Formats: sequence, C-alpha cells, structure tokens
Amino acid sequence: MKIEVNQVDKSFKKQRVLNRINLTINSGRIFCLLGASGSGKTTLLRIMMGAIRSENGTVTIGGTKVPNQQLLAEMGYMPQNEALYEELSVWENLKFFAGLHKLNRKTFEKNAEELLQVVDMLQDKTKLVRDCSGGMKKRISLAVAMIHHPKLLLLDEPTVGVDPVLRRRIWEYLKQLKSSGVTILVTTHVMDEVTQCDDAALLRNGHIIAQDTVENLIGMTPNGNIEELFFMDDQSEVEGATC
Amino acid sequence: MLSIVKRILGQIKNDKRSLGLLLFAPLLVLTLLYFILGNSNYVPQIATYDMSEKFITELQQNAGVIELNEKPEAKNYLEENGIDALIWKDSEGTHIELLEKNSKSATALKAIQDTNKVLQPSQSELLIEYVYETADDNQLDSLSYVFLGVISFFFVFILSGMSFVRERFGQTLERMLMTPISRMDIIGGYTFGYGLLSALQSVVIILFSVYVLHLHVEGSVSLCILVMILMAFSAVSVGALVSIFANNELQMVQFIPVVLIPQIFFSGLIPIDTIPFGLGNLCYFTPIYYGCTSLEMIMIQGKGFMEIWPWLVGSVLFIGVLFIVNVMALKKYRRL
Repeated sequence: MKIEVNQVDKSFKKQRVLNRINLTINSGRIFCLLGASGSGKTTLLRIMMGAIRSENGTVTIGGTKVPNQQLLAEMGYMPQNEALYEELSVWENLKFFAGLHKLNRKTFEKNAEELLQVVDMLQDKTKLVRDCSGGMKKRISLAVAMIHHPKLLLLDEPTVGVDPVLRRRIWEYLKQLKSSGVTILVTTHVMDEVTQCDDAALLRNGHIIAQDTVENLIGMTPNGNIEELFFMDDQSEVEGATC
Repeated sequence: MLSIVKRILGQIKNDKRSLGLLLFAPLLVLTLLYFILGNSNYVPQIATYDMSEKFITELQQNAGVIELNEKPEAKNYLEENGIDALIWKDSEGTHIELLEKNSKSATALKAIQDTNKVLQPSQSELLIEYVYETADDNQLDSLSYVFLGVISFFFVFILSGMSFVRERFGQTLERMLMTPISRMDIIGGYTFGYGLLSALQSVVIILFSVYVLHLHVEGSVSLCILVMILMAFSAVSVGALVSIFANNELQMVQFIPVVLIPQIFFSGLIPIDTIPFGLGNLCYFTPIYYGCTSLEMIMIQGKGFMEIWPWLVGSVLFIGVLFIVNVMALKKYRRL
C-alpha cells in the first residue's frame, strides 16, 4: 500500500513540530523514518494513521484518504512503549487484539503460534505480561501488531531493547513479509537499523532533510557512515565537532 | 464489544487483590458501620427532679438515674455533668430537656418512653425540648440506604476510572483505537464489563446487609438489587468521564473528593428541599440522587416498582447521556 503524505503541518502549543512534510512510501518496501528523539517521528506516524489531526495537508494510503475505518483493518501499529495489558498473559493479549480485528479462532491460533515463534515467546505464552522483562514486552508488542497479518505495518522503534540475535531474526521476518507484499514503515534513532531498510527519510527539526533509497543515501556520505547525513546540511557543525 | 468485556473480566481474574477490594472492602466498611451505628449497649444518664417514686424505680431499669433536689438550669447542667437528659414535671406536663439530637439523646428518649409505657402513660403530656436545635431529625440508623449507595458507587467509580486512566496513559487505548473497532463498542464494552463486575458487587452487598447484618428492608430486596446495579453502571460511566480530565493516576485520586462529596450531599443525608438558593436542583446531575432516593423509597417506605419508576428512568437517562459524552470524548484519540 502506497502512502502519500502531502504538505503536512503540525504544531503543539504554538511550537511547530512538523513543517510542510512531503513523503512518498512505495508499496512493498521497508521504509525507515530516521530522526533524533523529539524530532517528530511519532507525531508523523500518528498523523499517518489518523490518530491525530494535522493542521494542513493530507495523507492517503493506497489511494484512500486518512482517516478511514477500513484502512485501520489493514494496518498494524506498534507504539513506542509496550501498550500491553499487564494483568493478562501473553496469549490473552494477542487474543484480545485479534478479537478487535474480528479474527476467527482458527486464524487467530495459527497466526499467534507463528508470530510467537518468530519473536521467541512461544514457551512463555501463558506468562502474565507483568512478569515479563522489557525486551520480552517489546517482542510481544511486535507480535500483537502483526496478529491480523496487516498489509501495512507501522512500527515505532521496534527493536530497541531487543538483543542482537533476536533482532536479526525479526528483521529476517520483516523482509519475508515484505516479499509477500507488505509495506513496512519503521521509525528509529539507531543508525545501524537503517541498513536493513530499502528507503529512508531523515527528519530533523520538523523538516524532511533527505529522502532516497538507503544505498543512495549512504553513497552521498563521505565515509559511508549514515550518521553523517545529519550533519551534511550543517557542515560547520561537523567541522566544529571534529576539531 | 464482547472482546472488551472478556478482557476486563480476564484482567480482574488475574488481579485478585482488586477483585477482593471490589467485593469485600464494601462489606468490611458496612460491617464497621453496623457496629458503630447500631446495637450499642450505651446506658443513658438521666437527671430527674420532682418525679414520682414509681417513675424513678422503673426508669432505673433502663438508664442511670440521678435525683436532684432543685431544678438546675438545663444547658449548663447537662453540659458540665455529661448527662443526656433532664426530666421534671409541672402543671403543663412532663418536660424532657436534651442537649441535641444524636444517638445518645435518642437512647435517653427511648428509655423514658419505655418507662412511660410500663407506667400506663398519657397521664401527662411529654414536652421535649432541645438545647441545641438541629434541622435534621433523621435517626442515623435509618440512613442505611445512603451508605449502601455511596459505598458501592465509590468502589466502582475508582476501579473503572483508574483502569481508564491507565489505558490512556499506557497507550493501550491508542492501540485499541488503531483497530477497526468503533468508539461506541469501546465505551459499551467498558460499561458492560465493569457494570457486570459491579452488579456482582451490588448483589453481594445487598445480600450481606440483609441476611448477615439484618438490615431492615421494607420493600422488595430484588428491586434494591436492580437499583444498585443501575447505580453501578452510572458509576462506571462517571469514572470513564472523569478519567478524561485526569492525566495520571494521582489526578484521578484527586478527583475522588470532587466528584464524590457533593454527591453525598444529595444522597438523602440532607433533605433536598431545605437546600437554599435552588442548589437542591443540582441533585438531578448526581447519579447517587436517583439511586439513593429509590433505595430510600424501597427500604424505608416499602414502595414498589410503580412508585419508583421515575427515578429508575432518571438513572437510565443519566447512563445514556454519559455514554454519548464518553463516545464523543474518545474522538480526541482517533478522528473517526
């Protein structure tokens, strides 16, 4: 599903958070929204889903204007913090969200087993979430976002706090999803993650300062380090820092 | 909607302490209240002046009696000596002077009346005077319906309000809203989920009060349960509404006195028509008013469904209006 963000502005209490954002995310790609914390990544994500209103501009997903109830059925969203029910078990959490998507029991059980396998939580499925560690909650949260096999996945910092072995496994799974036609949008402030994605956009101070394929973006930097991109429009700052 | 109801019941099932608080804490409070208000073995102290020998011996069965040789000034005497009543006789009849209306003076009065009953009364008229007049002549014992209503409202209100605040705060609400569920289903699921729990609570409280504490119910017990359940549903709705204005759990706690105390004023503790400046009309905005008024009519006056239905309709309307307001308020979290 192609996402088009058109001239979007957003302010909180007079402070401009997003400024004339234009973004195109092509169908069947893994797209990375890169930016420091507080740069407006989550706000942009929320506007794209239709959770909050932008002052100006429009967002369309697969040609349908946001917000739209049908679109929500095809979206999977993973918020930045875990957003799970502490008093419920891993399995019950999955079941609840599957219920909201009106999955039947068979589909739910099949999907849940598969996803828990991916995030390595199958043996802990009856554990209460309040007894899980931070990393485990992150993995459960990821599984919840994908329980209904969405065509569009919006993941807000999905792999923070997940160990490297598991992180690789999750990325492999996301790539597998991509090859089956799922569009995936990931936000991160960890630069290593970017290399796993196809396209990336850099968000700084409410502006998109660069948007291209990851390959091209890395090609633009002098030493192949993607972090350099953040300093490219502000060379003096880089020079000052290297002195 | 069903998934939300199931989820709420599942959450409570795994949170035994909350369940315990919901079901047993009200019982504990009611039991305490029962011992505080009811059945005390207090022996009133009554001073007599110029009463017949027969009256005094009979009165001694029921109270501590002090015989006086001259008639003192009632106010100072009663206050300084901790005596509950002063009784004397003159041509007008038998005078009884008491300090103020409370449970002590009530036991003193009862002792005197019991004595009179034995002694073939109405040879002389009883003239009762209070040193301090208070407007309220309710006996505390007959206010059980107020406590029933307020206590059950309180616990349900906190439970549903808190869990809604946590849902906002922990972003599970946002996550829920990012599925194709309608806002109406969310509020409906919430109201029914917690409503069911509090219905269970209401049944437990009423049965405990009637069969263990032997609370007197003039009318039908099942009608009481119905009223309590309606009140519980409105408590859930009020909890959800108030949680909109609270950004965290602390603020929710701070809202408790703001929401609850004014409601107690309109619960029947103070007769509504004595409240000045038309402030009594505010009662129509408090769900406890509808609940407690119907409870009073059933428990004290023994009224049936045909008499209390306007208050039940009031309760239902209240729940309906709050439902719509809550559904609208969710728009803040999703534009659909």
